[in-house]
Amino acid sequence: METLKAIAKKSPIWIAYLAALLGLPLVFDSILAISIFNQMAIGIVFALSYNMLLGQGGMLSFGHAVYFGLGGFLAVHTLILIEFETVYFSIIFIPVIGGVIGLLAAIFIGSFSTRKAGTVFAMISLGIGELIAASSLIFSDFFGGEAGISGDRTYGPTFFGVDFTQNDQIYYVAAIWVFIATLFMYLFTQTPAGRMANAVRDNPERAQFIGYSSRRIRFISFCASGLFAGIAGGLFALNYEFITEENLNAATSGRVLLMAYIGGLGYFIGPIIGAVVLTLMNSLLSNYTELWMLYLGIMFLLTVIYLPRGFAGFIMMHQVAWINNRIKSLGVPYLLIGLPSLVLLAGIIAMVEMSDHEGEAFYYFGFKLNPESFVTWAVVLVISLSAYAGVRAALPQLKQAWESANAVPDSEDPKS
Amino acid sequence: MSILTLNNISKSFGQTEIIRGVNLAIEDGEKHAIIGPNGAGKSTLFHLISGLHTVTGGSIKFKDQEIQNRPAFEINRLGLARSFQVTNIFHRMSVFENVRCALLWSKGFRYSFWHLLGRQGELNDASMHVLEEIGLSDRAQYPAGELAYAAQRALELGIAIASGADLIMLDEPVAGMNISEAQSAVELIRKVTSGKTLIMVEHDMNIVFDIADRISVLVYGEIIATDVPEKIRANPRVQEAYLGEVPNSA
Repeated sequence: METLKAIAKKSPIWIAYLAALLGLPLVFDSILAISIFNQMAIGIVFALSYNMLLGQGGMLSFGHAVYFGLGGFLAVHTLILIEFETVYFSIIFIPVIGGVIGLLAAIFIGSFSTRKAGTVFAMISLGIGELIAASSLIFSDFFGGEAGISGDRTYGPTFFGVDFTQNDQIYYVAAIWVFIATLFMYLFTQTPAGRMANAVRDNPERAQFIGYSSRRIRFISFCASGLFAGIAGGLFALNYEFITEENLNAATSGRVLLMAYIGGLGYFIGPIIGAVVLTLMNSLLSNYTELWMLYLGIMFLLTVIYLPRGFAGFIMMHQVAWINNRIKSLGVPYLLIGLPSLVLLAGIIAMVEMSDHEGEAFYYFGFKLNPESFVTWAVVLVISLSAYAGVRAALPQLKQAWESANAVPDSEDPKS
Repeated sequence: MSILTLNNISKSFGQTEIIRGVNLAIEDGEKHAIIGPNGAGKSTLFHLISGLHTVTGGSIKFKDQEIQNRPAFEINRLGLARSFQVTNIFHRMSVFENVRCALLWSKGFRYSFWHLLGRQGELNDASMHVLEEIGLSDRAQYPAGELAYAAQRALELGIAIASGADLIMLDEPVAGMNISEAQSAVELIRKVTSGKTLIMVEHDMNIVFDIADRISVLVYGEIIATDVPEKIRANPRVQEAYLGEVPNSA
C-alpha cells in the first residue's frame, strides 16, 4: 500500500507534470519556443535514462549516445519504410522502434560491459562509443556518412486527422511519450530490481551476500537505460526527421552526462531540471554569444565544486528550513546577495565578451561597450569590484539567516 | 549432523599460504567460535566459506552440496549469511531499505522489475519486524551511513539475519564497541541466532566463552584444536599460542 499511497500522495505532482508538458505550447507558442520544447522533451527522456546508469546504478558511462543514436537511426529508417509503404503504421509509434533498438543494443553490449562497475565499465563504454561512432562513418549505406540520413514524418496513416506537418503537433506526441517514459522510469526505481540497483551502487560486494548477482542487477539497469535512451532517439528522429553520426558520438554522450550532473544525480527530478536548463542555455545563449560553450563549461565546473548534488540538491538543501517554517527568513538575505551576484556575473561576462570582440563595439543590456576604450573597461571593472564587495558584505547575513533557519529546535528529538 | 564440513581447505595468495589444510565440521544448531592470533587467517577462512575468495585446494560442503568456488550469491541463496568485520552496509540508502533489500531474495522477488515494493505488505512488515528485533525501528528512515557506530553494527547484523539463513557467520561482531554496547550486542546475537547455526570470529574471550558451544583455534592457517570451551582453556597448545594470556580472562 505504501507505494499506492505514495503515488496517490504524489499524483498532484504527476498531474501537474502532465499539465505543464501539455500546457507549455499554449503559453509560449512561437516557433522558437516549440522548437526548444521539443529539444527539452528529448533531453528529459535521454537524461533520465542516463541517470538510471549513473545516479541510480553507479555506472559512469561515456558512451550513452550509442543507444540514443542507434534508436534514432533505426527510427529514421522506419520513417523511410513508412514513406515507401513497406510498413504501415502511425508515426506516433516510432519511439517504440527506437526503444526496442536501444534495448537490443544494450542487451548485447551490456552482456559484457556490466561485468564490472567503476573504471572498467567507464573505459568499455568509452571504447564502445568510439567504435560505434567510427563504424557509423564507415558503413555509410546504413548511417549515411557525415551527412546522415533523413526521412519524412508526414507519411503513413494520419492520427485522428493529424498529419504531423507542424512542430507543435510533434510536440504533443513527444509530451505524451515524455510523460509515459518518466512515469515508467520512476516506477522502475520502486521495484526490487530498481532498488537493488541502488544497493549495488552503494556496495556491490555486500549485495552478493544478500543473494544478488551485482552483475545481473547492473545488466538489468543497463538494459532499461538503453531502452529509454532509444525512445529519446526515436523522439529525436520524429522531431528533426534526420540523424547524423554526431548524434551517437562522444560529444552527445558528454552532453547527457552534463545534463544529468548539473541537474543532480541523486534525485529523480534532477536530470529533468538539467535537461531544461541546458536546453535553454543551448538554444537561447547561443543566439547571443559565440562563447556560450565557455559559459557552459564554467557553469559545469562551478556546479561540480559548489553544488556537487546539482540544482536539485540545491533545492533540497532547503528542506530543513522548510520543515522549520523559516524559508521566508531566507528571502531578504538571498535578495541582498543575489542582486550584487547578478551584477558581478554581468560584469565578468562583459569583460570576457570585450576581450572576444576584437575591438568592435557592441550592445550589452542596452549599453554600448567599446573594447578599445579605457573608460569602458574602467567603468565595468569598478562596477564588478563594487558588486564583489556587495556580495562579500551580504555573505555574513546570509550565513546567519541560513544557520538560524536550519537550526533544529531543542524541544524536538530529531530522531522522532 | 554436520551442516558445514571443511575438508582439507587451503588458500594461497601467490607464494604465501594463508590457510593450510583446515578440516572442520560444524554441527547443525551449534554455536561455534573461531579464535586465534592476528593474521592467523580467520577472516580469510570466512571469505572462503562464504564465497568471497576461491579456495586453492580442498572442498566445502554445506547442506550436502559442494560450495567451494561458487559465487557468493549462490551460496547465500542456499541459506548461508554473513556479516563483515568492517561495517559493510548500503550507506546511502535508508535503514529500512537496507533490511528490505536483504529480504528480497528470500521472499522470492528475484530480479523482478514488475512488483512495486510499496505494495508488498508482507515484505514490508517482515522488514519492520527485523528492524524491531535489532532495535532500529525508530531510525527506519535514516540514511544508514549517518547512524552511530553501534547502530551500524546492529544493522550489519540485521542484514545478515534478515533472510532467515540457517547458518550465520559473524566476523568480529562487537569489535570497536564499548563494554555496554558489546553487552547489548551479545544479547542481540543470542536472540537473533537462537535455533540457528552460528560461526563467529571474535577477539573478546569473555564473549567467546559466553556464547560458544565449541571453539576452534586457528594458528598460522591451521586449526590446532577444536573442543568445548573448558577443554580449550586447559589445552597447553592453545595456552602456548596465546602466550598464556587468554584462558584466565573468562
